Amino acid sequence: MASAYYEFYRGSSIGMALTDSLDELITSGSITPQLAMKVLQQFDKSLADTMVKQVKTKTTLKGHLHTYRLCDDVWTFIVKNASFKMESNEMVTAPKIKIVACKNGDAIDAGKK
Amino acid sequence: MSFALPARQVTFGRSAAVPPQQQQYQQSQPQPYPQQPQPQTNGLALPYPSYSSLPGPSTGLALPGPAPAAYQSQPQPTQPPQAQAQVQQPQSQQQPQQQASPVASGSHTPAIAGPSTPAPTAIPSTPAPLTLEQQHITAVEGIVPTLQNIVATVNLDCRLDLKTIALHARNAEYNPKRFAAVIMRIRDPKTTALIFASGKMVVTGAKSEDDSRLASRKYARIVQKLGFDAKFSEFKIQNIVGSCDVKFPIRLEGLAYSHGQFSSYEPELFPGLIYRMIKPKVVLLIFVSGKIVLTGAKVREEIYTAFNTIYTVLCEFRKP
Repeated sequence: MASAYYEFYRGSSIGMALTDSLDELITSGSITPQLAMKVLQQFDKSLADTMVKQVKTKTTLKGHLHTYRLCDDVWTFIVKNASFKMESNEMVTAPKIKIVACKNGDAIDAGKK
Repeated sequence: MSFALPARQVTFGRSAAVPPQQQQYQQSQPQPYPQQPQPQTNGLALPYPSYSSLPGPSTGLALPGPAPAAYQSQPQPTQPPQAQAQVQQPQSQQQPQQQASPVASGSHTPAIAGPSTPAPTAIPSTPAPLTLEQQHITAVEGIVPTLQNIVATVNLDCRLDLKTIALHARNAEYNPKRFAAVIMRIRDPKTTALIFASGKMVVTGAKSEDDSRLASRKYARIVQKLGFDAKFSEFKIQNIVGSCDVKFPIRLEGLAYSHGQFSSYEPELFPGLIYRMIKPKVVLLIFVSGKIVLTGAKVREEIYTAFNTIYTVLCEFRKP
C-alpha cells in the first residue's frame, strides 16, 4: 500500500527509544534530520506490517465498555475494570484503559494503552 | 370478596360463566378506596366495548367443551391477574381514567401475576390507580401486550456538523460511507438515536412513551452541549411494537382462510401469519405457538384494542 501509515507507534517505548537515538545522532551531526524522518517513516511502516504479519500472540480482554466512538475509521474504546488474560494464563488488570483501533491498508488494527 | 374468589377458582378452569358473575358481583361492590376523577383527555380505547366483548372470547374459549388434561391446568396461572383486574374493573368503568403512569403499571402488573394464592387478600390493599393496561386486562384473561419498542422522531431544528458530534460525544459512531447519520446510544433509558445533518433525529428502543420522550430530550441536550443551537420540536411517536403470548396454539391455516382479507400466511416464506387489521390500523404477526407481535400503532391504546380484537378471533382458531 502506498498510503501513509499512522505515526502513533512512535509514542510506544520502542518508538520513543528510536526517536531519542535519532535525536542524539542529529545533535552529534552523524545524520541529517531528513534521514531521521526517513527512518521514522520506515519505522511506522515496518511496525504496522509486523504487527499484522508477525505478531501472533493473543489475549482476551474483559471489562465494562464505558465509551466507544467511531470516527474517521478509528475506533476508540474506553474500558473500565479491564482484565487481560494472556496466553500464558497471566492476568493483567487495569482500572481504565483506552483502546485505539485503526484501519490501515490491509486493515491493520493497533491498540495502545 | 372471599366468597367470589373461590367460586372463580373452581369454575374458571374452562368456563365462560364466571366473568358475568364476577361482573355482577363487582357492580354491587362499593369502591374500597376513593379515586380522584381524571378527565379523559386522550382517545381512550373504549373500556366499554372491549369489556362488553368479554363474554365473546370466553364463550368461544369454553365451547370446545371438555378440555384435554394438558390444558386444564393452564388457565390457572392467569387467574390472579384476571381476578385482580375484574375486581378493579368497576372503578375504571365509573371513572374512565387517563393512563397516568404507564411505567408504574408495567411493573405493577407482573407483581399481581406472580403469587397465585395471596392474590385475594392483596386485592383490597392495592391502592394503585387503575391504568389502561389493567382495564384492558379484563377482556383478555389477564394477558396484556408488553411494549417492546417505541420509535420516535424529533426535529432539533438546526443544521448539525456530524463529524463534530462524532468526535466529541461519547458512544457515537459515524461512518459516512455506510450511513449518513451519527448513531448514538445512551444507557438510561437504553435507546439508540440516529442523528442527521439536517437536525432530524430518530430515537428507537424505548419501552414506554415517557422513556422515549426522556431519551429524545437527553439526546437533544447532548447535541446542545456540543455547541449547537438544538431545540426540541416536533417530537412524535411513529411506531409502537408490543408482544404477548396467548398461551394456546393457533390454527393459522384456518385463520388465514376465514380472514383472507386481512391475512397473509406463507409458511414457506415466514412461519407467522401477517394480519393487517384495519381498525385500529395495526399489523399483527401471529405464530402457531400463540405468540403475537403487534406493530404499526401510534398510541399504545391501539395495541391493546388490536389485541383484544384479535383475541376473540384467536380463540375460534385455538388448536384442539
